[in-house]
Amino acid sequence: MLVIRGIIILHLVSFCLATETTRSVSMKTGNQLAVLEFEGWSISEPLTKFLTEEFRETIRELEIFQVQDQGLTNEISIFYPRKKNYWACWSEDCAIDLGKRLKVNYVIAGNIQKKDLNEFLISGRLFSIDMETLIDEFTMNSSGITDSLLLEMKKMAYNVSGLPVPDTLSVGTDTSEVATTGDIKLKRQWFKLPPIPTKIKALMMSTAIPGSGQIWVQRKYPGYGFLGTEATLGMAALISYYNYNKAWGGFEENYSSYQNGTDPHILEELRPKVIQYAQESRRYNSFMKSIRGVAASIWIVNMVHAYLVAPSDDYFDGEYFFDLEYNPNVNQLQFNFNF
Amino acid sequence: MLTSYNSILTFNKIKLFGLCLIVLAFSCEDADYDLDNPYDPTNMDLDPPALFFHPPEVSTSLGESISVEVYGLKLDSSAGAHFDIRYDWGSVTVDSVVPGPFFTGLNDPMEIIVDEQGILDVFIYFLPDVNSDQSQSGTWSIATVYFSTISKGESELLFGPNTTLRDANNELVTINEYGSGYINVE
Repeated sequence: MLVIRGIIILHLVSFCLATETTRSVSMKTGNQLAVLEFEGWSISEPLTKFLTEEFRETIRELEIFQVQDQGLTNEISIFYPRKKNYWACWSEDCAIDLGKRLKVNYVIAGNIQKKDLNEFLISGRLFSIDMETLIDEFTMNSSGITDSLLLEMKKMAYNVSGLPVPDTLSVGTDTSEVATTGDIKLKRQWFKLPPIPTKIKALMMSTAIPGSGQIWVQRKYPGYGFLGTEATLGMAALISYYNYNKAWGGFEENYSSYQNGTDPHILEELRPKVIQYAQESRRYNSFMKSIRGVAASIWIVNMVHAYLVAPSDDYFDGEYFFDLEYNPNVNQLQFNFNF
Repeated sequence: MLTSYNSILTFNKIKLFGLCLIVLAFSCEDADYDLDNPYDPTNMDLDPPALFFHPPEVSTSLGESISVEVYGLKLDSSAGAHFDIRYDWGSVTVDSVVPGPFFTGLNDPMEIIVDEQGILDVFIYFLPDVNSDQSQSGTWSIATVYFSTISKGESELLFGPNTTLRDANNELVTINEYGSGYINVE
């Protein structure tokens, strides 16, 4: 009897201890969001672009997410070149892949369809890159003109941000949200280095390999031009160096024999050879120096060009190394930096 | 797989450009030289065609054997030569004379040596072969004279007035200048 009691007590104690030591594990994720350009069906491309940017701006203003700049998001074509634009990326795999390439935590992809003459359907999907899943799917119906569409995009921004839509925006629209994820297990966030600005990256690439920065920022013709020119000069320098080396070898061999020789007949034969090889080595060396000068100049031009043609980016708000912006509160242009 | 292939390609590009960069970055040495070898005929201040002794100065010890070459500088082709060599017969004696490559064709040259009281007469003749009836032109050793030292002192080597070279037509070969030599026995 005592044994049974002992076993029961032991189980109870172990159960209590086990309950005490259980911790709820929650991992935090970043809030960097990239809004891919919405796909427009039967509506014009400039309008789609405008609406996407409006949507992006609204989310940015709500300050729930750090929204990646349009220019940077659009640079995905550098990493993921395709004939059609990336916004056709509607599937989970595609969106997550793009999100990883853009180094964001969330991606929104969507489309705007014109159903009837005055009726639009706006669909959006919010993907979590860290969790590699579709989190939310939004669908909105809009009837009317562009202003209405804008309103709908703003409402969607509120929905995406998880904030209630203000009364000023809710004017007879049909908004539905489809929750697709329940319990969310977040991935661990490791230490991240600050992002390198595209211009600096292009400059560094072109410094290492001429033209590579230009190619990276989709300026392929100048890039290949610089690459080809430097390669040609390099090859010319290599050929010149090979000839110089040959002449120098001949010079050293003959000059050494001349210096140590005692036979007038041999010395008489060596003398013109020494002069000839010396002249050849000087000529090739001079040619190499000229090539070096030209190549160095082109190299520098290539570096400057890479910096100039690379798109400037604002990066994520407040996460960029430095930023020049106008602060209306103090009526001043401010220089901010962050590391 | 694609990524690793791209990495290899990138690495190869970097290697190639690294090589080009090295070639472009480094300048090579310019050839700097002095053609001041004293045995170089150009530095001997002789007006060719000329005859000279090589080496022009020999320092040796008593009882030692030395050799001095009779050299022709930019000589024309010749068929025979008579060298009238004057030396200090109280200081050195002539051991032997060996013909050099100047008169050596397919056949070895014929030589006659007469050594009398400080005057060494060397007659060397080119033996014609199927290729030529006279020697090649240029700067060549004509003969090597071996001496033995018998007393201390300086001995001068000179070409006498009878020194002549003749071609296959028995015409005199022009010699503009004659060099001299010294043997210093210590």
